[in-house]
Amino acid sequence: MVTVGIPRALLYYQYYPMWKVFLEKLGAEVVVSPPTNKSILNSGVTRGVQDTCLPVKVFFGHIIALVGKCDLMFVPAVTSLGKKSYNCSKLIGLPNMARALIPESPPLLAPEINCEKGRYNLYRNIYAVGRYFTSNPFKLKKAVEEGWASNLDYWNKMSDEKITPLQAIDGKLSTDVNASSFTVALIGHPYIIYDEYVSHRLISRLQKMEVKVVTPEMVSQEELDAATRRLVGVPHWLFEPEIIGAGGYYLETGVDGIIIVAAFGCGPDSMMLSIVEHRARESEIPLLPLSLDEHSSEGGLVTRLEAFLDMVKRRKRVCV
Amino acid sequence: MRVGFPHFGNVYIPVKAMTRRLGAADGEVIIPPPITQRTLDLGVKYSPQEACLPYKLTLGSLIEACELGADTLIQARGTGICRLGYYAKGQEQMLQDLGYNAHFLTLDVSHNKFISIMRLIRDMSNNIPWREIIPAFFFGIGKLFALDKIEKVVQKVRAVEVEKGTASRIYREAINAVDEATESKEVKEITKEYIHKVIQVPKDPVADPLKVGIVGEIYVVIEPFANMDIEVELGKLGIEVERTMTLSRWIKYSLFLNYLGVDEWREVHKLAGPYIDHDIGGDGWESVGEKVLYAHEGFDGVIHLAPFTCMPEIVAENIMTSTKEDIPVLAVTCDEQQSKQGMLTHLEAFVDLIGFRRRKREHGRRV
Ligand code: SF4
Ligand code: SF4
Repeated sequence: MVTVGIPRALLYYQYYPMWKVFLEKLGAEVVVSPPTNKSILNSGVTRGVQDTCLPVKVFFGHIIALVGKCDLMFVPAVTSLGKKSYNCSKLIGLPNMARALIPESPPLLAPEINCEKGRYNLYRNIYAVGRYFTSNPFKLKKAVEEGWASNLDYWNKMSDEKITPLQAIDGKLSTDVNASSFTVALIGHPYIIYDEYVSHRLISRLQKMEVKVVTPEMVSQEELDAATRRLVGVPHWLFEPEIIGAGGYYLETGVDGIIIVAAFGCGPDSMMLSIVEHRARESEIPLLPLSLDEHSSEGGLVTRLEAFLDMVKRRKRVCV
Repeated sequence: MRVGFPHFGNVYIPVKAMTRRLGAADGEVIIPPPITQRTLDLGVKYSPQEACLPYKLTLGSLIEACELGADTLIQARGTGICRLGYYAKGQEQMLQDLGYNAHFLTLDVSHNKFISIMRLIRDMSNNIPWREIIPAFFFGIGKLFALDKIEKVVQKVRAVEVEKGTASRIYREAINAVDEATESKEVKEITKEYIHKVIQVPKDPVADPLKVGIVGEIYVVIEPFANMDIEVELGKLGIEVERTMTLSRWIKYSLFLNYLGVDEWREVHKLAGPYIDHDIGGDGWESVGEKVLYAHEGFDGVIHLAPFTCMPEIVAENIMTSTKEDIPVLAVTCDEQQSKQGMLTHLEAFVDLIGFRRRKREHGRRV
């Protein structure tokens, strides 16, 4: 049986259920790299050029961690899912960077997913992947459909049950924060906020501080899209809904505070952040921007969090 | 309506020519002052910290245009993949916060460029008939072609002139002369005259300069302020510079030849093919291909200009580290933190390196 490696990084957090079902239905065995740890981070950081953003460096680390454990590596280039909005250049060029920087990696399964290029192109690219496993187009079609269905389930599950990808995929239990006195929205790319190593376990840390944490994945896609439209019009990037849309949504529905986590060196984050910040100033909801890089220390983070939460608490008491 | 636009290389020259031709009243089109430290400071102050340099510089330039009274601003837009699509959104909000009530007109530079430029001109010109707009437009861009033609010669002469700075001085004079010209014929004469002047500059007869190609993101490649005048500095070090990306080339292809199915980048994309075979936004794909091209053409080195946090160029840089075409690449990050002194130090070390490689190669051949 062919083993396909899936790096636990970047788009993994959004599409893993689909990829897994798709590949398994085609008869592959799927292995996922372990959660980010120090050696994964370090091995990734030494590969890319210095100015590369942290999440992409982490991704390289995950590929390295899978070397020797699989026959093929699944690294799709997700360019566009239609509606004229595109992904970040680094995600579009991801397989190309991986090939250049990690020559020891097993061959990449790297379909380009670009709905702007039309259906035919999309089918052809998916078909090229399927050919590795089956020559039966019906089997392939079924695998695609079942994969897609399981991802829809996954997204719905998160927004219905208000849970995070970590809970939905790994069945991690949420720390019960019933007595929590206030709610904070945590906004950022899923591959930052749910990577516990990179984010210094931000979510559970907040929960321990008795904060109810809400994240973009807990809002339905339609609501995110609508909020994005209200704030900036037609989205230009694929992930605007999960950052701008979620920011706007939580500002409108009212939370006690917003924490935006950006990756240091992330081009899109810098632009999107300023739009959400602007909006937060208007609605006078406290906002804490955090920027993470490979050197960011846990201590510094905790200090800033505590100061922020103190402020949120004080404000709330005054308001009540 | 008082129209302003951001400064970018010599773009102001055709705009000026065109507005004069069409008899615009004084102040109807505001020519942005050249980019200075002040422009940069303004841009940095009012941009998100990690925005790319072209964003900051064009914002600074638009603020300066507003100070001069602009109420309608032109900014490029692309449904392309990069941050360009965000420029107008972010900058408009910032200008409003600063109290300028300027209205944005965006110019689509990714699709139907010719039509969108023509529409823009017509919208702004109170419906002047096409038969006046079109010749004025050609007169304007004729100036760009003239300047790029002169600059090509300047890039060669800078490397070998005896008295450093002569060719650049003549080029500056040429810019002014072309800018002043009122007839196409005059532009042609000026071009001939100045090319002749540049060729006449006394040169070192035995010099065999090292050659480098410049690749990277279009704004920082074309706007000298953004790249700290890197071409002039290379010239001082005796290096001949070549750069494919020029405004006139962009115009020639995007506005005309692309419509006829000619793709100016086809060759470059093909060369990049083994490493990357699809667009990643901005100019990243082209940068990779051009590296390969310059290696094939026997250049001594490549200088890769990338704004800090520029996504496509970071992808390109990562890929370029391991192409099999072996040619030294110096990546220069363009942002407000980069000091000119720091850049010069890197340049000198790079020049030493490529000089050493050339000597080794030639020596090797002789043995
Ligand atoms: S969106 Fe930001 S963090 Fe994600 S890959 Fe692009 S630059 Fe990196
Ligand atoms: S290509 Fe680079 S510099 Fe240009 S808009 Fe995109 S990120 Fe900015």
